[in-house]
Amino acid sequence: MKPLLKPKAMKMKHIYKNLIIILGFLPIALMAQKTEKENLVVGVRYFNNNNKTHHLVFKTKSKVNGKFKNIPDIQLAVYITSDATKANLIGTITTNDVGDAVLLIPPAAKTEWVKSPNQTFVAVSTATKQFDESRGELAITKAKLQIDTVEGKIVNAKLVALIDTVWTAIADVEMQLGVKRLDGVLSVNETPTFTTDSAGGTTAEFKRDSLPGDSKGNLVLVASVLDNEVYGNLTAELSVPWGSKFSHISNFDHRTLFARRGHSPIWLELLAYSIVVAVWGIIIFLILQIRKIKQLGAV
Amino acid sequence: MENLAKQKIIEDLLPQKFGKQGTIWVIGLLVLCSIGFYAYCRQLYYGLAVTGMRDYASWGIYISNFVFFVAISLVGSLITAVLRLSDVHWSTPLTRIAEIIAVSAITFASLIIIVDMGRPERFYNLFLYGRLQSPIIWDVIVISTYFIISLLLLYFPLLPDLKIMIGFKERNGKWLQKLYVFLGSFWKNTPAQFKITDKAINILAITIIPVAFSIHTVTSWLFATTYRPGWDSTNFGAYFISGAFLVGSGGVLIAMYVFRTHYKLEKYITDMHFDRMGKVVVLLALLYLYFNVNEFLVPAFKMKKSEEHHLLGLFTGEYAPIFWFAISTAMIIPILILIFKKGRKPKAAFVAGILVVVGSWFKRYLIVTPTLLHPFLPMYDVPASYKHYFPTWEEWAIAIGSLAGALLVITFFARIFPIVPIHETIIETESNENETHL
Repeated sequence: MKPLLKPKAMKMKHIYKNLIIILGFLPIALMAQKTEKENLVVGVRYFNNNNKTHHLVFKTKSKVNGKFKNIPDIQLAVYITSDATKANLIGTITTNDVGDAVLLIPPAAKTEWVKSPNQTFVAVSTATKQFDESRGELAITKAKLQIDTVEGKIVNAKLVALIDTVWTAIADVEMQLGVKRLDGVLSVNETPTFTTDSAGGTTAEFKRDSLPGDSKGNLVLVASVLDNEVYGNLTAELSVPWGSKFSHISNFDHRTLFARRGHSPIWLELLAYSIVVAVWGIIIFLILQIRKIKQLGAV
Repeated sequence: MENLAKQKIIEDLLPQKFGKQGTIWVIGLLVLCSIGFYAYCRQLYYGLAVTGMRDYASWGIYISNFVFFVAISLVGSLITAVLRLSDVHWSTPLTRIAEIIAVSAITFASLIIIVDMGRPERFYNLFLYGRLQSPIIWDVIVISTYFIISLLLLYFPLLPDLKIMIGFKERNGKWLQKLYVFLGSFWKNTPAQFKITDKAINILAITIIPVAFSIHTVTSWLFATTYRPGWDSTNFGAYFISGAFLVGSGGVLIAMYVFRTHYKLEKYITDMHFDRMGKVVVLLALLYLYFNVNEFLVPAFKMKKSEEHHLLGLFTGEYAPIFWFAISTAMIIPILILIFKKGRKPKAAFVAGILVVVGSWFKRYLIVTPTLLHPFLPMYDVPASYKHYFPTWEEWAIAIGSLAGALLVITFFARIFPIVPIHETIIETESNENETHL
């Protein structure tokens, strides 16, 4: 029996069939590739401010083309202790447009907080179309930073941590001692950082004599431990009358060349208006002369 | 004999109807004005987006045109006031030409500023809420003052001529006669009237000089009080005034030639006038060249980093062709032409005048725009179109329309009033004859 199609035609038919199958599956394969989600990193940092308030700062980011990119609008559920159950939930928060979020540790968390000298915080992100659920965790040891002064403008700071129910001095921790300035901290002398000794303390001489303080000459001294792996971020503040008295004199709305309308300097107004009056006086005089010429013509 | 000479002068200098050439010229100007007006209507409808101006080049050819108009208007004070007070009499036939150039230029300077405004209906706010500390307000005050003084300076010497023209009722026609009667029927040629006009003209001549200096100094301060490369100069006032006198004088050379040839005024605007006006232009061109050397050589010698981009852009970069064109046509070539006696003949002087005016227009463009495109802080994260400026057809049409409008004002003025003062020419001819007899 003679075959219906020649071998070459059959071969071509086979190729076409395979091509249709490949093209049919290609979009599905591409879609499958698209649905692969990216990794979200949830960073957690702990802050203890002046031994009074505690807060956590979160950062959500993801690696895009080999570089970390901040991810906004990620909802985070924050738990105290590593047991991320509803009973340990201390709050939910959404990251802002640069992927940051701040959560004050609420008083309701006190029962769990006092149970142990070490504490763990867990942030769990809600899954989105782009990211799976992710988890960030931070373990800290409770610590306190104390700041004091002695006569002769000497600043003392001491770091203690809770170890087995006892507040114990901590040695070899780096900290900064400075003065609070606008949007930053200026070191109390030329040394940028200080390290605690075996008694957990460190001392620095205050050498910023000419600094302007508030209207009474008060400056705010700040001791801070920054991004410590064990204790997190700790700060302690103390107000001291070591600055010069400063009262702000505002030029706003005074008569200046750069002031608003109607507030030009008096000398400028006098000068400008007298020139205008003189020149326009002459013009008016000359226009009156035309009238005079007219009258002479009428006579 | 005297009466015959007087009659001849009057006959020669009375305004003439447009001939064929004049009609074509007026129609041409009206067409340009209409295109400009249409472009302005488009700008009003669509906003300033129809222009090439963007965030950086926020001042384009409108402002360069404004500076050009203010500059050329200064010639009124030079010819009428400075030369008059210096007791120079050869400039008498040129005074009215200079004054009408001043009036028309200052009118269009004011208009082009309104054109540059995105919301012209808010113009009155400038008067209601203007800050006295701003050079813009000083400019508004000084421009309106200069306009009124220039009008008065045009009007007072015109009074005796109006009296003469009223005598030609049939020649004038109904409307012109009405206009002449309205403006000057009260003039009776009495000694008392002459005494008042002479006094008024002297007062105006003295007043207009500081006002003219102020108008262009304040215009220069619009730039110099702004901290930008190319504008941060203490020299700007003098630099602008010298340039203004130059372009104005160039304009007078052109107008002298056009009126002389078109109205056959060879006896009144003579080769001597071209010779002397040519010398004035050479002097002013040298002065302006001196200020240009100061403005560019000293910063180029220091080549501060912040100004380097701007200066190199002018000398060898994007603006180099326009820069060297402007320097050579506004100053160097006119000096080379007019420094020789042959170059001060009417035709050559006319060519030099055109070069001065054209070069000066481009010079104003170079003062305004390149600086705006070279700010101290680098342009960052802006569309590519913000980094360059080239005027759109609407801007060209409006700018050319405004120039045509200024020429139209001068043309109509010359049609209505004598472009060379009749009465003063008669008086000077008579006194010259008396001197000859003596």
